[in-house]
Amino acid sequence: MLLSKLRQALICLLAGKVTLSYPAKPRPPEEGFRGYPEVDVNKCIGCGACAAVCPARLIKIEDVDQTTRRMTRLLERCVFCGRCAEVCPEDAITMSKQFELTSDQARQDLTHVCEVFMATCKRCGRCYEPATPLDRIMEPGFRHDQIDRGGDRCPYPELRAPDSESPSTDEHDEHDEHLDEPVSAQVAQVVEAK
Amino acid sequence: MTTQELATQLQERFDAEQGEPDGLASPGWLSVTVCSDRLLDAIRWLWEDAGYRFLISAGSDLRRERGKYLVTNLFAQDEHGIYLAVHTEVDPEQPSIPSITPIVPAANWTERELRDMIGVVPEGHPDPRRLVLADDWPEDLYPLRWDVEHGIKPPPSDCQVPREPPPEGSSVVPLGPYFPSLEEPAYFRLFVEGEEVVGADYRGFYNHRGIEKMGCSVLTYNQIPFIAERICGICGCVHSTAYCQAVERAAGIEIPERAKYIRTIMLELERMQSHLLWLGIAGHIVGFDTVLMQTWRMREPIMWLSEKLSGNRRVYGGNIIGGVRLDIPTEVHQDVLDMLDKLETEWKALYKSIPGDTSLMARLRGTGVLPHELAVERCVVGPTARGSGVAIDTRLDHPYAAYDRLEFEKCVHDGCDNLSRTLVRLDETLVSIGLIRQALQQMPDGPILTQIDEDIPGGFEGFSGVEAPRGEVVHWVLTGDENRPTRWRPRAPTYANLQVVPPMLKGSQLADAPINIASFDPCFSCTDRMEVVDMRTDDEYD
Ligand code: SF4
Ligand code: SF4
Repeated sequence: MLLSKLRQALICLLAGKVTLSYPAKPRPPEEGFRGYPEVDVNKCIGCGACAAVCPARLIKIEDVDQTTRRMTRLLERCVFCGRCAEVCPEDAITMSKQFELTSDQARQDLTHVCEVFMATCKRCGRCYEPATPLDRIMEPGFRHDQIDRGGDRCPYPELRAPDSESPSTDEHDEHDEHLDEPVSAQVAQVVEAK
Repeated sequence: MTTQELATQLQERFDAEQGEPDGLASPGWLSVTVCSDRLLDAIRWLWEDAGYRFLISAGSDLRRERGKYLVTNLFAQDEHGIYLAVHTEVDPEQPSIPSITPIVPAANWTERELRDMIGVVPEGHPDPRRLVLADDWPEDLYPLRWDVEHGIKPPPSDCQVPREPPPEGSSVVPLGPYFPSLEEPAYFRLFVEGEEVVGADYRGFYNHRGIEKMGCSVLTYNQIPFIAERICGICGCVHSTAYCQAVERAAGIEIPERAKYIRTIMLELERMQSHLLWLGIAGHIVGFDTVLMQTWRMREPIMWLSEKLSGNRRVYGGNIIGGVRLDIPTEVHQDVLDMLDKLETEWKALYKSIPGDTSLMARLRGTGVLPHELAVERCVVGPTARGSGVAIDTRLDHPYAAYDRLEFEKCVHDGCDNLSRTLVRLDETLVSIGLIRQALQQMPDGPILTQIDEDIPGGFEGFSGVEAPRGEVVHWVLTGDENRPTRWRPRAPTYANLQVVPPMLKGSQLADAPINIASFDPCFSCTDRMEVVDMRTDDEYD
């Protein structure tokens, strides 16, 4: 008995103090850690591959109009498998090192919404992703000035500038204020409250 | 006996037709169909004469494909390395099948599940009560039928599962519904007379997540591994491995050699951390927290290493159909070996300090006795079986991944008590260290994933058993057409082990109940079932 207790004491003494002073001192995870999947909305082309493979089925894709695809990620359900990052053709998703995601309002804090500008199919009128980045730029409505120039083809008639002939650069800024979020950039809006 | 000889025998004796639905001719696997009149004879022969061990049964709704329900009973013969599926077709007009529970007691829960989930009634079952479904789930709504949608919330009904009243003169000590020492949902009502436990009533299934239904209705083949890995919080990799192997066998996919070794290494890492975790909890339950502190300290480097190898401490997420998606490059081999060396030294020191500790021995030796015969009869698996002298280990009996190329032995102890089960786990941790060393050394270079270009064809079945830290995990898959299985039936080891807990508690001391239950390393979340036993009269309704 005594010998056994001495052995146990030795194990404890040899180990010494091992407790990390986390969270006072942060402990960064290892390289390759799969944490919060961050989406680079500027790279995303809205192809939907991530939604197709996500085992938690948390990426909802809906086309809100003929040129806007909205992707809602309910990341409170995320299982951090990294499949979305693996299949994304544009490498728009990175598995970050962030793991401290506890929140008392997980639904709000971990919901990520982004809208991607898509091309409209001339036949069926639904969204599709343009073949090349150049094609995308050529789409009406992609850039601010084109919204103004777009004339009848502009998807947001209420935003059309009164004089849509030759908008000057100065006017852009003005328009910016009136723009509805969905067209203010290639990817319009990121709601990401953390 | 080979599978072919077995097929001939079954054909001659019971008119069993081979290979329906189309079984893949993989070695050690046989699938036969027996009509329901001959089912009991066939089962009796397998169980009583041929030395088959019951695994699980599965009910599938094949009304769309064949106009029938399919009931599948799965067996294993460990000496000959054979897995056997006995299918019986059931007419939807008359959804009933003779119950095999009177012959094979271990089939008890799974047959009740058959009734709950598919609506096929096991005729002659000794306890035909509801098992799996919640109390307020309506009658006549069978979740695993294809025409019941995934995710429905039916209005609650007031069906009540009857509770077992305590035997005359005894009092009830509740343990749960949130099991106090294992921090999992399980509700034992212990019937005690003084200090002695004379009966128990177990109600579980609080954590049913409908994973099987998801697998057959909303997920696709390659989404399931990640969900399967979450069946268990401690040993998930075994589930994803077993599922992937089952699908690979069904579809005839051969995975690269390197992938097999990587799977082996991850499985053994998982076993080590699981056994260390268990030992810590066991120490905590018997009131010896130094064990908890020290084993969990030793476990931590395994977790950090897993994080480095796979990107996550626990849920490796490495398995996918056709191989693995995480590599173990040569640069990290040294890290793994260093971790193993350190662990081995510490483990041996710990091992030496345990047998001399009389207080620890007093809690473990001679308590929680699970007799060898009971262990065989109830088909328990894993360290629980090996602690009662039942020498079964899937890694050696039915080799998978790279285990057939590694050298190791089964760890068997025959004390049948808590101590034996502890020693089995202690030994196995050392074996795992050796296995990882061998695997790292032998691991060939090459690809880790087989590219799958064609769709997985429907109507094939695949099966795989994997030795989890808690025992044998089995997954049976029937492939379907919409890029998902028609039926996916996983069985966690605790499903088999938990059924034997109430008979084992009989006559034990109340104070030992937590460690007796915990010595099985139960995983309630994986299993969640229900059982009632009156131990004084030996009447079982389990
Ligand atoms: S990490 Fe996995 S679960 Fe999370 S969003 Fe990506 S695919 Fe879905
Ligand atoms: S994040 Fe990547 S995979 Fe997902 S829609 Fe965007 S481009 Fe496609």
